[in-house]
Amino acid sequence: MSARSSLLRDSLIAIAAFLVLAALPYIFPSKGFTDFVVRLAAFGIFATSLNLLVGYSGMESFGHGLYFGLGCYTFALIMQNFAVSIPVAFLLTIFLSILVAVVVGSICVNLSEIYFAFLTLAFQMLLHSLIIAWTPITGGDQGLTGGIPRPPFLGIRLDNYYHLYLFSSGLLVVCLLAMHHIVQSPFGYTLRMIRDNVSRAPFLGINVFRVRLMAYVIAGAFGAVGGIVMSLFVSGAFPDFAYWTISGEAIFMIMLGGLTVFLGPLVGAVMLLLLNDVVTKLTSHYGIVLGGIILLFALGLRKGVLDFVADMWRDRRQATLSAENRSEVAASAKPAVAAGE
Amino acid sequence: MDLSALGSCLISPSCVITQSTSGLIIGLLLFLVAAGVSLIFGVLKVVNFAHGAFYMLGAYFAYSAYQLSGSYLIAVLAGGIGVAIFGVLFERLLISRVYGSPVLMQILVCYAMILILDDVVKIIWGADFLSFGMPPAFQQLPILFAGGVVPVFYLFLIVITLIIAALLGLLITKTRYGKIVRAAAVNPSMVSALGINTGVVYASVFMLGGLLAGLAGGLAAPVRSLTAGMGTSIIIESFIVTVIGGMGSVAGALVGSILIGLVRSFGSIGFPLFTEGLMFVMMAVVLVLKPSGLFGKEGR
Amino acid sequence: MLTIENLSKSFGGVAATNDVSLHFPKGSLSAVIGPNGAGKTTFFNLITGAFRPDKGRILLDGTDIAGLSPPEIVRRGIGRAFQIARIFPTLTVHDAILGAVQAHRHQHTVIGRRFPLPELEDRAAHVMQLAGLTSKAKIVSRNLSHGDQKLLDIALALVLEPQVLLLDEPTAGMGPEERWAMIDTVHRMWELERMTLIFIEHDMSIVFKIAQSVKVLSYGRVLAEGTPDEIRRHPEVIKAYLGDEFEAAHA
Repeated sequence: MSARSSLLRDSLIAIAAFLVLAALPYIFPSKGFTDFVVRLAAFGIFATSLNLLVGYSGMESFGHGLYFGLGCYTFALIMQNFAVSIPVAFLLTIFLSILVAVVVGSICVNLSEIYFAFLTLAFQMLLHSLIIAWTPITGGDQGLTGGIPRPPFLGIRLDNYYHLYLFSSGLLVVCLLAMHHIVQSPFGYTLRMIRDNVSRAPFLGINVFRVRLMAYVIAGAFGAVGGIVMSLFVSGAFPDFAYWTISGEAIFMIMLGGLTVFLGPLVGAVMLLLLNDVVTKLTSHYGIVLGGIILLFALGLRKGVLDFVADMWRDRRQATLSAENRSEVAASAKPAVAAGE
Repeated sequence: MDLSALGSCLISPSCVITQSTSGLIIGLLLFLVAAGVSLIFGVLKVVNFAHGAFYMLGAYFAYSAYQLSGSYLIAVLAGGIGVAIFGVLFERLLISRVYGSPVLMQILVCYAMILILDDVVKIIWGADFLSFGMPPAFQQLPILFAGGVVPVFYLFLIVITLIIAALLGLLITKTRYGKIVRAAAVNPSMVSALGINTGVVYASVFMLGGLLAGLAGGLAAPVRSLTAGMGTSIIIESFIVTVIGGMGSVAGALVGSILIGLVRSFGSIGFPLFTEGLMFVMMAVVLVLKPSGLFGKEGR
Repeated sequence: MLTIENLSKSFGGVAATNDVSLHFPKGSLSAVIGPNGAGKTTFFNLITGAFRPDKGRILLDGTDIAGLSPPEIVRRGIGRAFQIARIFPTLTVHDAILGAVQAHRHQHTVIGRRFPLPELEDRAAHVMQLAGLTSKAKIVSRNLSHGDQKLLDIALALVLEPQVLLLDEPTAGMGPEERWAMIDTVHRMWELERMTLIFIEHDMSIVFKIAQSVKVLSYGRVLAEGTPDEIRRHPEVIKAYLGDEFEAAHA
């Protein structure tokens, strides 16, 4: 493929990125910075997982927050109610998310665009209303408070903020590495083909339903990881994490950063979180400001930051390529064709 | 789950009457919103996710008009007409710019609109719950019917929403405008080829949808507490209704809405914690058995 | 070897394919001809599983594949290109062809030491060369000319190494010169890859020049079949289909 992917090379890049992240708190020794990165890890993983669907598969889910909320609540509830270690709770959470994604995905993935968008949203709102209704278990609209225990594992003590920072950064890097590997895999290119021409795909032997379902489940599992990080960060869970606005924010992150470039959603997450912090500091009318910015974006720019960069590069390349191609054709003038006459 | 409670309700006429009327009210108000969503989708192929915010706006407009005039009639009309105008503006200034864009772009515009409207409502009317109060005309003793208690206002709501539904049905099936709207839903290029300005048709559909949602908000105001974000659950339910009834079908929206209303009112007795879940189960069953919806014609 | 037995399909009472029985020996090159509406594309749609036959059997090396889904049929070795090229607009020529063969063999493969898989890359490069698309490998498919899009569509089917390749009017919408270049390419593909090739074609000079066997469909039925020479002389074919056009071309 145009971008070759070797697990070894990608892993080296990931390790380097992790080392840089690990060193950053020594340069910016503020709690504000580490908190920002932990939130970024949650939303970066979440938005990138959504882009597996939106950008790579052409499946425009508007209910991806289902998995963010599910991951957040499941993890927090397991930690609060059962004496298990963090890795066990982590794996159980992912397992449950996969189960839910298989059921919801089976119902939704073959629906047309609009139906898919709204049914996924509807299922997310089902989770939200269950969270609100099941007050004895979930704490209802007050959220799951009281903190979650964080027993140390493998020498990692997540009640220490630097450990949490390292753990979240590590998860961010590992998840992005894994997702990048997935989009470069044969499966990842199969997704692009389905996105580009869903009616042609079956004639290449592609089982559209199964591949889409797989993408949906994988995205759900990674989305839940985002929720787990969030749960660790707030030491609990809140119904807002399952509310539809979470999905809306993730979509806006993708659009803002760029959905045609792998790191676009991460860049979008950085931008939206920064924006979020600045706006909430300046005004209490966050909705109006954010809404206004989204409108400006949707009606004006229409493309994410990295999309612009990628398109510029691509257009120039394509222009050169087709110019070369034309001159080649002209040079060979008439192809040597054995015509029938 | 409390199936015995549901069972004992179902064998008691008074409980059936009470639950049925409240289910009908939920359903019929929902219908006014869902019919707009369905119409707009049918004609413009856009799901107006901001339609729940339209409903909220209708309730708040009605609230202010009621405060100023003291007349419930004026309040409801203010809700309807105010949101109708707002709908036209929304369509012309914003949504019309993203026709033909990816669905996500349209959703993003609606998302932005909801964020803005929810905040605007908080600024103008405050963040606290507002209570409209029962108009004096309806402050009467409830009617007893087969042992069931039916407030007068509930009867009024049922009658008035049924009248609106009937008028809407007549408008769509019997008038020239209805013919144009139905034609535009099937083949927009043909409508413009006939010399009809599709822009005007589109704006008018948004106006109609806005009118219905605004009326619903105004009518519901006395029995609902007003708050920013009150539109969210009704838009989700509207969508479930359109899936069950069939996208673009007004009759389907009516049947689907009443079904949802009854599920909600009876479900709250039998499955208090899973009423919402019940609606989703219904939707999933319809999607699996008849993906185009009970009254839908073609594909999903 | 592909054998069709009593294949039938009707749409709303109109028989689009009516009791068609045909045999395509392994490695043969056959043309399917017939006037517009003769049911040629429907015939392809039935073989590839796009439509479900009402009746009849489709035997690929003796196994009945009628009623299977398109992906299952493709996996058993029947590839197909379309009358109007169906490509993957945002992928480059190289990525589309490589993606096709990867999807065909490893669509569920998520993890591996390195991607793309080297042996598949060789296959893709080989097919690109066969289709004459090597110099255009990095061009995004939607920027290709009409003829190149048709070639890409064929290459997408060919890269899967089909036993049977169905081409629906490979020369549709092309000028005379471009047509012959296309037919040359298709002929070379057949010679080198040795699959059973079946193509639909309107241009009789092309059909008579390259096909080993010609099947004539009319109103969903088999009107005639035989070598080009036999078809050329077949009185019913001349009357029902070729008519004046044929007389004029070969007077």
